[in-house]
Amino acid sequence: MTELIESFQFVYGPQMANGLAIGVAVVLMALGLTIIFGLLDVINMAHGEFYALGAYLGLTLVAKGVSFWVCLALVPLIMAAIGYATERALIQRVFHSGDRHTLTLLLTFGLAIIAEDAFRLVYGPNPYKPDAPISGASELLGVMLPNYRLFLIVAGAAIILAVWLVVYRTSLGAMVRASAFDRNMASSLGVPVDKVYAGTFAFGVALAGLSGVLLAPIYSVFPTMGKDFILLAFSVVIVGGMGSIKGAVIAGLVLTQIQSISSLFISPVWSEPLVFGIMVLFLMVRPQGLAGRLGNG
Amino acid sequence: MAEVPHLRSAVQAQERIHFGGQNLFAGLFVALALAFAVLAGASGDTFFFRLATEALILAGLAMAVDVLLGYTGLLSLGHALFFGFGAYVSALVLKNVAPSFWAAVGITLLAATLLGFVAGFVSIRARGVYFALITFGLAQVVFKAVFNTREVGGSDGIIGIPPIRVEFGLFSVDTQSPAGFFLLTLTAAMLLYAVLAYLMRTPFGRMLVAIRTNESRVPFLGFSPWRAKLIAFVVAADVAALAGSLYPMLRGFVSPELFAFQASGNAVIMVILGGSGTLAGALYGASILTALKSVIGTWSEHHLVIIGGLFMLSVIFLPKGLAGYALPRLERWFARGGGGQ
Repeated sequence: MTELIESFQFVYGPQMANGLAIGVAVVLMALGLTIIFGLLDVINMAHGEFYALGAYLGLTLVAKGVSFWVCLALVPLIMAAIGYATERALIQRVFHSGDRHTLTLLLTFGLAIIAEDAFRLVYGPNPYKPDAPISGASELLGVMLPNYRLFLIVAGAAIILAVWLVVYRTSLGAMVRASAFDRNMASSLGVPVDKVYAGTFAFGVALAGLSGVLLAPIYSVFPTMGKDFILLAFSVVIVGGMGSIKGAVIAGLVLTQIQSISSLFISPVWSEPLVFGIMVLFLMVRPQGLAGRLGNG
Repeated sequence: MAEVPHLRSAVQAQERIHFGGQNLFAGLFVALALAFAVLAGASGDTFFFRLATEALILAGLAMAVDVLLGYTGLLSLGHALFFGFGAYVSALVLKNVAPSFWAAVGITLLAATLLGFVAGFVSIRARGVYFALITFGLAQVVFKAVFNTREVGGSDGIIGIPPIRVEFGLFSVDTQSPAGFFLLTLTAAMLLYAVLAYLMRTPFGRMLVAIRTNESRVPFLGFSPWRAKLIAFVVAADVAALAGSLYPMLRGFVSPELFAFQASGNAVIMVILGGSGTLAGALYGASILTALKSVIGTWSEHHLVIIGGLFMLSVIFLPKGLAGYALPRLERWFARGGGGQ
């Protein structure tokens, strides 16, 4: 029995807690992706770069003397403006052509290429690791956990809940869901569909930026950080069901647990292909994912 | 019903003009490539010969992507999987089995066909963006697997692949000769173009276009889109792998980056820049992108900002690429009898 407790305390516990911290962050990323896909039918290949941009913005602001806590509010606002402009200037341009899946995917892919190189141009190729704004560690169920990770888990869960409430319990959310369900009908009923689209895109981008700020003290900030993280977020979105918030939360938490626990048994470098393998399997046998689309939960 | 023969001949004439223009476009490419070879050969250059050879190899990958994207309407975001696979199989054969061109190419073709069937079986059921994501995921799994497998060199790749002489019976070409290997690669690329261009004119090629235009209607006409898509996928896998098999002969090494998303993405950029659905456009796209990278790369490390910008401008303002601009003109010229018919 003590053996079991010890192995939990020192092996499984910390691994699961770390997995949970990553999981919450991935869900934040995946929420933006999945909402944008569910509503606009757009695969945002630049989502990872928006996440990186959020982290870099946070870095710059903190260096200028702005407090980390102010950044948590300020960066998403700036990112929302950038997202709104992106949707208006780029996505809208090709949105009404017949090939919009491919074209929007290609456009955001181009954007991702530019952004990644621009980060390298402005900030250089080396990683930055900002100090965590909360130091120290706490013991929880006998498992030692850095306070900042604890904060990340709680704050992330609160944000996820808030997003869910906005989408499912406000009239704004009702407009978003109505537009996703039937664009023409929503438009006839007076929903400003174009604005809802741009606003939703901005919201998703702001979420990505927020997770960038939150994760910077843990994973450090470097030009390809978005690309490394986006693959996991894509797997989460696909396994969860493209457009589903509930699915993204479940898949995000389960996949990151699989990743962190499996790395105890197999070499950690193989835990990543394992998650992609699960994604491919889902695409083969259940392309709609765990849950349905945005309109249906 | 009397209109049917008339309609058919009109369609056939239209097709003849279209493919005539396309072949002219490809012929122009060969002429430009040969002119380049004369210039580079006269100035005794090696660097640009090697670069141009790489562009032609990448053109093979781009043509494969075009078969899927431009003809069948399937956006593959992981086609470097087959390119890298071809390069690795060829490298392993050259290094460990026999330093023979024909053995490397033959074994690559067989292995790629097998892999193409397996990967096609996995991914072809998925439609639209799901296809893009599943190919992306597959390539990523293989990339990570190769990156982490010591037996195939891990992150270092395979180095020290011996240069070979390619035997053609009457004569032979040394892969180390810049001009010789350039001409060999040009021949190979144009052979691939010819085979694909022919294939796209057959009923099978028309079926692919029908699938791109409206997949749901194809079964109502009594055809199986699934089978046609699978064959198109295998063909595209073979073409990409054959192009990849030339890579170790050019560079003497292979690395896992050949599988990476960057390579797949670049192939898509080449197709879009050159003009999708034209095959010949892929030849131009590959040359333009490789040249741009090299030229911009000489004065700035950050060529991707410019290439990405160019790509986005092309998607927005010139969605049919270079071919979209050049082909109508070439077709008119061909229709006026310039094609010598």
